[in-house]
Amino acid sequence: MSRSKLAITLIAALLLASLLGVRFGSVPLTTGDVLGVLAGGGDDVQRDIVMRFRLPRVLLGMLVGGGLALAGATFQALLRNPLAEPYILGISGGASLGAVSVLALGLAAWGSWTLPLAAFAGALLAIVLVFRLATATGQAMDVRVLLLSGVVIAAFFSACIAFILAVSPARTVRSAVMWMMGSLDGATWGSVTLTAVYTLPAAAVLIALARPLNLMAIGEETAYYLGADVEGVKRVSLVIAALITAAGVAVAGVIGFVGLVVPHAVRLLVGSDHRALLPLSFLGGAAFLTSADLVARVAMDPAEVPIGVITAFVGVPFFLLLLRRSMSRA
Amino acid sequence: MRRTPAEPIGRFALLFVLSLGACQDTASGEPEPLPEGIRAIDASGAQVALGEPAQRIISLVPSATQTLQALGVGDLLVGRTDYDTGAWLADVPSVGGGLDPNLEEIIALRPDLVIRFGGNQDPRTPARLDEFGITHAAVRPDRIADLYASVILLGRLTGADQAADSLVTAIEEGLAELSRNAESLPRLRAAYVLGGTPPWVAGPNTYIDEILDLLGADNVFSDLGALYTSVSREEIRARDIDVVLVSDASQFDGTLAPDARVVEIGSALEVPGPDVVRSARDVAELLRGPSGR
Repeated sequence: MSRSKLAITLIAALLLASLLGVRFGSVPLTTGDVLGVLAGGGDDVQRDIVMRFRLPRVLLGMLVGGGLALAGATFQALLRNPLAEPYILGISGGASLGAVSVLALGLAAWGSWTLPLAAFAGALLAIVLVFRLATATGQAMDVRVLLLSGVVIAAFFSACIAFILAVSPARTVRSAVMWMMGSLDGATWGSVTLTAVYTLPAAAVLIALARPLNLMAIGEETAYYLGADVEGVKRVSLVIAALITAAGVAVAGVIGFVGLVVPHAVRLLVGSDHRALLPLSFLGGAAFLTSADLVARVAMDPAEVPIGVITAFVGVPFFLLLLRRSMSRA
Repeated sequence: MRRTPAEPIGRFALLFVLSLGACQDTASGEPEPLPEGIRAIDASGAQVALGEPAQRIISLVPSATQTLQALGVGDLLVGRTDYDTGAWLADVPSVGGGLDPNLEEIIALRPDLVIRFGGNQDPRTPARLDEFGITHAAVRPDRIADLYASVILLGRLTGADQAADSLVTAIEEGLAELSRNAESLPRLRAAYVLGGTPPWVAGPNTYIDEILDLLGADNVFSDLGALYTSVSREEIRARDIDVVLVSDASQFDGTLAPDARVVEIGSALEVPGPDVVRSARDVAELLRGPSGR
């Protein structure tokens, strides 16, 4: 598939998913109702449903999905590991630890901002720890050490979480598990704005680094001989990708699968030139998560299905299909 | 389901518990001698046999612990869980959680009866207790009918049958009175929100649903397919709710139901215990608000 064809397809899919995401939800509204609200009419309930819940939710899905897929593609290039995904550096563990601590200490009562803030702080803690470990051995950052640090830090955080949950009352455990399953339901205009202000410029920087990332994906030594600032690119892009992930986790919890599978799917379709891979991964992640969230909201209406379930149920068969097609072509 | 508590749910529970005194002559109408053997069917359908009323009881189920006290046999307890609070239990050692008790502690306390959760959440504990030959009885803490059944069962196993009968009658009458009081009032549309993102609510066939119905309120989420499940915020906004019950007000965004009263009820409606009438009365007052409408 050509790049421009995939780009058009993904943009069309994203537009369609967004329109459907505003049109449909667990409460049945007619197209007329939704258009009425968008034109400034509608009753209080309809206005709240469209403007307060559905629109921010669709936008947050785009930003988080796009950010996770872009971060995943970046990690896969830098760590030269097909299993790399946004949470590989222990970011989800750090964010979960932050969120679970807030719930266990009862700090959530201070306001709705405490939970995302603590999750973001936990993610930052994980990032700092992992990078300190990876650079402790010398000047250059060794990606193998980085990978291993991420794995042990994640294991340590999950032990901390298990300990906190083991000594917490059932109500805390319930809220913590719900948070860790991930959801876009908490979307507000505030969280959309915050995420956009961070994610969009960060995404632009990563996409601008596509050329050196192409070289890095071949091998750090080759990249160095070909004139890339290996250490600089590595640090900047790792930190930016990690922070995009942290922002996404803070507002939507741990949503798995997007960051792993979307970059691979795009790579299978258009190859691994990061100048195309990175922007198309962002588009693909945005379209994928927005669609998955739509399914999560309407599949078992009025109950909500955890979005991670949908990303896996829809993503796995789709990915296997792509994989089989590309294998038979090769 | 529209069932008033005046119906003798508890009496059916009696059928559930088969008492087969070892002496055959009790059937001939003579004054009943102290039973030489007690047999009862517990909430898991298993037969529980005791040579004499239990003397050393470990309760792994907090509502059963309260029931034992309400039956006047609280002093038989030699073990409780971490979740049992109350000054009268200060000297009773804990054996850990109700679903993951410390087996060593249980054995060391030499109980002649362990009260455990029915259901499949913890298949390990009954299996281990069987291994060590410790008699155990399962209770379910889920619904009001379960409460009646467990009161009768615990009364039987501790030789406090009469106290159990009167407790069941008292609860039935107390709930019937609350139900009668509510009949003259307009029905309310209520929701019970447990918190979370997206918010979790209580669905049909829950204890909460039962109590709300009894107090003259319709659970707006009685159409859900699960006991407890999460719903999107727009669903809460659109359901036209009069009262939102929450265990913890900080867990609920009041703007989701701007026309509703948000009432914090703590843990009053988590599981039915012997104090169900008092909890229900408290909730009834909160439901109707200061105006008592």
